[in-house]
Amino acid sequence: MTRALWILWKREVGGILHSPIAWVLLTCMSLINGFSFSQCVAYLEQGVKEFTVMQIYFYIFHFWFLLIILVPILTMRLFSEEYKTGTIEMLLTAPVKDGDVILSKFLGVLFFYLLLWIPSLLGLAIFQTVTHQAVPVAWIPLGFSYLMVTLVGMLYLSIGLFASVLTRNQAVAAMISFTLIALLFFSGFLSYLVRDPGWREALNYIFTLEQMRSFSAGLFDSRPVVFYLSGTVFFLILTRQVMVGRRLKG
Amino acid sequence: MIQVENLTKRYAGGEAVRGISFSVEKGEVVGFLGPNGAGKSTTMRMLTGYLPPTDGQIEVAGAKLPQDSLLVRQRIGYMPENVPLYPEMRVEEFLEYRGRLKRVTRGEISHRVGLALDQCGLSDVRKKIIGSLSKGYRQRVGLADALVHNPRLLILDEPTAGLDPHQIRSFRELIKELGKDRTILLSTHILSEVEMVCGRAIIINKGKIEASDTLANLEKRVQAGALQIEVKADPAVAKEKLSKISEVSLVTELNRAGEWISFEVTAAPGKDIRGEVDGLIKREQWPLREFRREKARLEDVFVELTQD
Repeated sequence: MTRALWILWKREVGGILHSPIAWVLLTCMSLINGFSFSQCVAYLEQGVKEFTVMQIYFYIFHFWFLLIILVPILTMRLFSEEYKTGTIEMLLTAPVKDGDVILSKFLGVLFFYLLLWIPSLLGLAIFQTVTHQAVPVAWIPLGFSYLMVTLVGMLYLSIGLFASVLTRNQAVAAMISFTLIALLFFSGFLSYLVRDPGWREALNYIFTLEQMRSFSAGLFDSRPVVFYLSGTVFFLILTRQVMVGRRLKG
Repeated sequence: MIQVENLTKRYAGGEAVRGISFSVEKGEVVGFLGPNGAGKSTTMRMLTGYLPPTDGQIEVAGAKLPQDSLLVRQRIGYMPENVPLYPEMRVEEFLEYRGRLKRVTRGEISHRVGLALDQCGLSDVRKKIIGSLSKGYRQRVGLADALVHNPRLLILDEPTAGLDPHQIRSFRELIKELGKDRTILLSTHILSEVEMVCGRAIIINKGKIEASDTLANLEKRVQAGALQIEVKADPAVAKEKLSKISEVSLVTELNRAGEWISFEVTAAPGKDIRGEVDGLIKREQWPLREFRREKARLEDVFVELTQD
């Protein structure tokens, strides 16, 4: 991390933590996570043996719904606000590279995104304590699950960042990123409907829900890792192109 | 400090800046003057590396744009129009952030921030949240931001816009003070500001430079002021004799009070007719009770140069 990136990142995280939206999100996330988790436990109590608590937790509707809604709200203000208030001019007339500015925003929001998942870890910890089972929450599936949460988050956040650089209107930015993320997420389901095996394989490649299912079962696959990382880089580069283009236009 | 040649900025909608050339020497305080929408901000944004020019060469603080953009940005202090700031930050915290971003070292930062706070009269509000400050203070924070890394060149875009008369006055004093050991380019559409702070003015209109000169020379370019005299003399004779002075372009009778008649005597552009008029009055032995020169004001220059 370069010096400029570190200074920008600190300010970015500070900016997020000083906004009321951050604390509202954290509260709502904890509430929904808690609710979702207790439902998972209630489901297991019926004598279900074929899934672990983690598999259910990361597969459940709440989790994904939350992720798709959460990211646009987190990212909508990142650039839009700077363009709207004009602080982007102040930022870009300091001796910093465009890339550092983009990366600091991305890493800043990624940091907060990861913070938001801490309450869910607490849920698992409580489950562990209360059930007194030897290894109800295994480390490897746990690690893989959160790796997947991070990877998916990185791609979605970079999409959100890209949407935010397109407009100075936060609501528009949120709507654009929501649309892109939802399209990406739900197109995975088409693999159930498509008959052509080539297409089916291609759609499976971006089928986040299935990938999560195998990761939370402790099965690692390198293909999704490549997909999410390259997707993230792609959208970060796209963000940079738009930023340069906006200045050309004035 | 600033060398601009043939600078052009074209947008999809048209040309904001049309091939302008000018330079600012080290130690000068130069006013960048023009009506709203003349291209002042666009030019300044190009000088600070924020906007890439469509065409032309820019050299600022010994580095070329856009190649050495980072170097230029490190060497100048820029205060954008409307002073955008992060409202949730505290004054001191903001200046520390900006100073660090502009490569002030960790060891020097508190000294530099303290100095900028002092210079801009912000010491009392250093712990306050920027969003809660008045416009005047926010403007000062913007200036402190431009100063915090101790740049030799300041580029200020309408630094006094939106301030009340008291604030404007103290702001000008501050700029004057800063101009003693720095080069300053400041834009404004308030003329008295230029008259008070700047040694030279560049007048820009519709993306083109109309004039670039010292204030004294600029004033000479339009009617170099008119003389108002009030004498006791025969109106027709006096008018004729005054008109005969070679450098007088116009004599207007203003009014009469008993035997006293007052005239406005206008000189040809750039000429000083005080000596000749005085000589005439003495030769004719006209009793005189008023002899006053209306100084040409920058406002006249401005209006003449920027009207359609």
